[in-house]
Amino acid sequence: MATTACFIIVSRNCIPIYEAEVGSAPKREDAAQLHQFVLHAALDIVQDLAWTTSAMFLKAIDRFNDLVVSVYVTAGPSHMFNNDISQCLPQTG
Amino acid sequence: MLALEYKCCKFDLHSPEVNFWEDLESKIVECVRNTLDKRVQFYEDEIRKLSEQRFMPVWNFCNFFILKESLAFMFEIVHLHEDALREYFELEICYTETVKIPGKQRDFGGLEHGDDQATLLNSGKKPLTQIVQDDSFREFEFRQYLFACQSRLLFKLNRPLEVAARGFTFIINFSKALSEHENILPFCMREVWVISACTDLINATASRYSEGLVAPDIEKEFYRLQGDLYSQCRTKFMRLAYLIGYGTNMERSPVNSASLSMLPWPKPAVWPSVPPDASSKVLAKEKMILQETPAVKHFGIQRKPLPLEPSFLLREANRRRASLSAGTMLEISGSDAMSKMFPSHKAQTSSMTRTNSSPGLDSSIDRPMRLAEIYVAAEYALQSTISDPELWKSFSSVKEFEQKYLELTKGAADNYHRSWWKRHGVVLDGEIAAVCYKHGNYDLAAKSYEKVCALYAGEGWQDLLAEVLPNLADCQKILNDEAGYLSSCVRLLSLDKGLFLTKERQAFQSKVIRLAHSEMKQPVPLDVSSLITFSGNPGPPIELCDRDPGILSVTVWSGFPDDITLDSLSLTLMATFQADDGIKALRSSTAIVLKPGRNTITLDLPPQKPGSYVLGVLTGQIGHLSFRSHSFSKGGPADTDDFMSLEKPTRPILKVFKPRPLVDLAAAVSSALLINEPQWVGIIVRPINYSLKGAVLHIDTGPGLQIKGSRVIEMESYADSSDDSTGVKTNGALENGPSTANKDFEQLTLHKGRIEFPDWASNMTSILWIPVRGIGEKLARGSSSAAPQRTSIVDGMRTIALKLEFGISHNQTFERHCDSLSPSQVFTLAVHFTDPFHVSTRVADKCNDGTLLLQVILHSEVKAKLTIHDAWLDLQDGFVHTDRGDGRPTSGFFPLVISPASRAGILFSIRLGKSDAEDVARTLQSESILNIRYGISGNRSVGAHPPVGIEHSATEDAKQDLVFRSALILQRPVLYPCLAVGFLPLPSGGLRVGQLVTMKWRVERLKDFETEVSKNHDEVLYEVNANTENWMIAGRKRGHASLSAMQGSRIEISILCVPLVAGYVRPPQLGLPDVDEANISCNPPGPHLICVLPPALSSSFCIPA
Repeated sequence: MATTACFIIVSRNCIPIYEAEVGSAPKREDAAQLHQFVLHAALDIVQDLAWTTSAMFLKAIDRFNDLVVSVYVTAGPSHMFNNDISQCLPQTG
Repeated sequence: MLALEYKCCKFDLHSPEVNFWEDLESKIVECVRNTLDKRVQFYEDEIRKLSEQRFMPVWNFCNFFILKESLAFMFEIVHLHEDALREYFELEICYTETVKIPGKQRDFGGLEHGDDQATLLNSGKKPLTQIVQDDSFREFEFRQYLFACQSRLLFKLNRPLEVAARGFTFIINFSKALSEHENILPFCMREVWVISACTDLINATASRYSEGLVAPDIEKEFYRLQGDLYSQCRTKFMRLAYLIGYGTNMERSPVNSASLSMLPWPKPAVWPSVPPDASSKVLAKEKMILQETPAVKHFGIQRKPLPLEPSFLLREANRRRASLSAGTMLEISGSDAMSKMFPSHKAQTSSMTRTNSSPGLDSSIDRPMRLAEIYVAAEYALQSTISDPELWKSFSSVKEFEQKYLELTKGAADNYHRSWWKRHGVVLDGEIAAVCYKHGNYDLAAKSYEKVCALYAGEGWQDLLAEVLPNLADCQKILNDEAGYLSSCVRLLSLDKGLFLTKERQAFQSKVIRLAHSEMKQPVPLDVSSLITFSGNPGPPIELCDRDPGILSVTVWSGFPDDITLDSLSLTLMATFQADDGIKALRSSTAIVLKPGRNTITLDLPPQKPGSYVLGVLTGQIGHLSFRSHSFSKGGPADTDDFMSLEKPTRPILKVFKPRPLVDLAAAVSSALLINEPQWVGIIVRPINYSLKGAVLHIDTGPGLQIKGSRVIEMESYADSSDDSTGVKTNGALENGPSTANKDFEQLTLHKGRIEFPDWASNMTSILWIPVRGIGEKLARGSSSAAPQRTSIVDGMRTIALKLEFGISHNQTFERHCDSLSPSQVFTLAVHFTDPFHVSTRVADKCNDGTLLLQVILHSEVKAKLTIHDAWLDLQDGFVHTDRGDGRPTSGFFPLVISPASRAGILFSIRLGKSDAEDVARTLQSESILNIRYGISGNRSVGAHPPVGIEHSATEDAKQDLVFRSALILQRPVLYPCLAVGFLPLPSGGLRVGQLVTMKWRVERLKDFETEVSKNHDEVLYEVNANTENWMIAGRKRGHASLSAMQGSRIEISILCVPLVAGYVRPPQLGLPDVDEANISCNPPGPHLICVLPPALSSSFCIPA
């Protein structure tokens, strides 16, 4: 099961400050942009959700087809996104 | 029977009771309620029974459903909607469990015509009786039925939000169920159903939702769900449109790519084939494919377009067709298995391109379909699937497709904006912009693109920005928005370098430069903060002294891919301490070429006010384009975390110190120099941490001082062994031997009052020796030892005005910090000159024979050893030398050496008398002149020293002696007094306060006035002095009294006084102002104090005020 994950740290003001891709799947040329797009859109959800829960780890807050977005909200003004991509997951949506 | 009584009531036709009708109504209500309760009780009992038998073989869902449905219906008609809803939820749970029981698989359904249109909100679309009669309970119909019933109740409960939320979840889950049965369903049934379901749900919920009645959070949630439904619908719609060949009309944007590229292709059992009569359509599609030109991005950006498809459709479709012949096994095992079994097949299919239309195989079933054929086949298949003519119309032409596409995109964007999901909303705005752009509506497109770019740029998501920004730039270019276009180009250039090829970045730059050098309608200021950043050089700031110019070196990072020529460049400096006055612009005079990356530029720095400065704004000109950058770089890429922070702590780049003494000029000697002789005056020049390179000293001598010989000015290094800040050396330190290490010496010339300093003296303390001569016209005068009278020190004071110009470009002028208010900025050095000796005289002895021994005392005035070789006295009239006529002293111990600050005496023997015949020539001489021939040996660094030009003589003997002349006044001695003054006794009764008393003095002439110069020889001026507090004087206090010039004549001077206070008081005194005191004899003197008694008791006595 070839998986890949994109890990992004987002500072306050929603600016990405660190980006890394890990995983065994062959790298797609558009993946960086795709991941950025998915994670950027997920910020909308994080912003809504972060105020409703005291939990720091928000698991699977968003799903984009077979991309699952989890986020770790730090006590400081930054978020750590983990965008797991499991290519063998059953399709959704 | 008893019960019947309760259920009946009597009706008298003739005289009904007053409460009859009310009674009847309440009874009826009661009956209905009882009946309902009984029925509900009955049904619930039945349901319980059935539930208990649930896992028995005899159990039948149909019976269970009839009971539940009936119960729910009963609840609904009595408006117990919540209860009805509960029944339906329980029914749904029960049904879901039933479906899952293995071995009892039912038909899925969905194969009837019209099933593609969702019935999730319309419970009556399919006759329920049929479902019950057949006992079919097909999942496809029944689940929709149940949801329809639930949503009907929820709408009745006025909960449209819940319908939307449950509906969205239902659609997602139902879509999964559809995908599981996709191989038995019509082609793309799932997608069509989702589109229809979403549309129905959107319409139904939106029409029942009234805005503003619920809490903002719930409202946001509702709009978010609407947005999600629109978005879902849009995705499926695009997928279907792609299948029939409208893919080229879709923007390959991140959002579309993300939505579609991960969404698998439909998986029908067999991919639809081309119908036999569709050749004309295939040709048309083929033509369309051939005409399709890939969208050329602006600036010639050659980027691989983002995918809209999870894999090649051609390959996928042909694979699904091939599986028909290969059997169902391949379908199950998937593509990996197939590629293992048919590796050549994989290679073949993967190498296919869109234009691969060569029909290599004859067999219609095995021949791979061309893309056009796939499109046509899909279109036909879809047409048979879609029963809704409205939906089908949307696929009928590109125009219709775009209209529907826009409608869905706008719906999603609007709802996302309302739900405050700005990122989702703005991204979809970008999609609308793409359509506007395509249709030539550039104004709207630019506005929407600007929104998208602002969002991405503001949050720094550069990958996404790189995708949209070229589109915005293109719109701006078409709209002739030069400012916007330039700004977009600059933003493109300032994106991460990896996002664009170098060639593309060069294209951006060339656009900027071309536009900058073209005739712009109105010159636009451009902010290039993200592209050109600057910072001071690392390390400590440049430190400058006040009024010094300098050169500022600044590091500028250029983000341009190529060299760029800046026609002009200026940089402002901002003072850190004051905001108003501190902005100074430094301009570069020449054009500057910035290389890509790091550049170091230097700017001339004119003198600045004291303070510390930071870099402000970089402005400049490229052609007609004026740009500015206010972005500091910290030596690399900008710190993104502080990207928005305005209060950036900036490092001072320049420090200009407050005015401080940069050099100190001081006189090298503190003691006096010889007057009227050429002397060295030393000026210590001490640079205080400042280079004196090229310094020029202007010298201007004050009155009574002249510079002797301009060619022999000497300069030597000055070993500074003292640590005191003033730099004035103690003389002792110098005498102890100044260090000779690194001693430099040079003779300088004075040219027009200017001396140029040698280079070696730039950074070290040096001493400048200038030969000067203080001119004193006055002859030195001796004084009597009885009344010592020293000459004022001011007489010997001379001044030298010094002005030192130094610093780079001679901008600095020496000024004494204590004299800083002086406008002349000229330092005046005081030099003290003096005679070598001060002469005082006294008569040592008056011998009986009339000889006077005159002692001449010589005080050394200088800090140097004086050697007296000879001395002689030229006497004034009335005195003659006793023995020899040469005027030499009686004691002849020459040479006489006088140490500094010591005294020596010379004795002359003179007598009163007329001068000899040879002295006739000097009869008019009223002063005696003392001549001293002397030599001096001193150090110029201490004080007086041998005159300039003499000290270089070879031997001691050959020294030219100096001659000092001093005037002495000799007075003939006064031998006897002329007048005698006596105080006559007071009355014996004593004095009393307030009592008149007469004071009497007798003045008697003892001898003639021989040398009296008074006008009247027979008068004498007298004056009575008395303390007015003690005495009241009646009569003349001052006056002339007649006194004969004859020897022995006498007068009596009396004055009437009144003592005013009792006690011992000083009596009035008689003085004779015209007569020298020496000529008055008061023997015995008058009483020092006299006793005044208190007044006698008297009632009429008044004390004067």
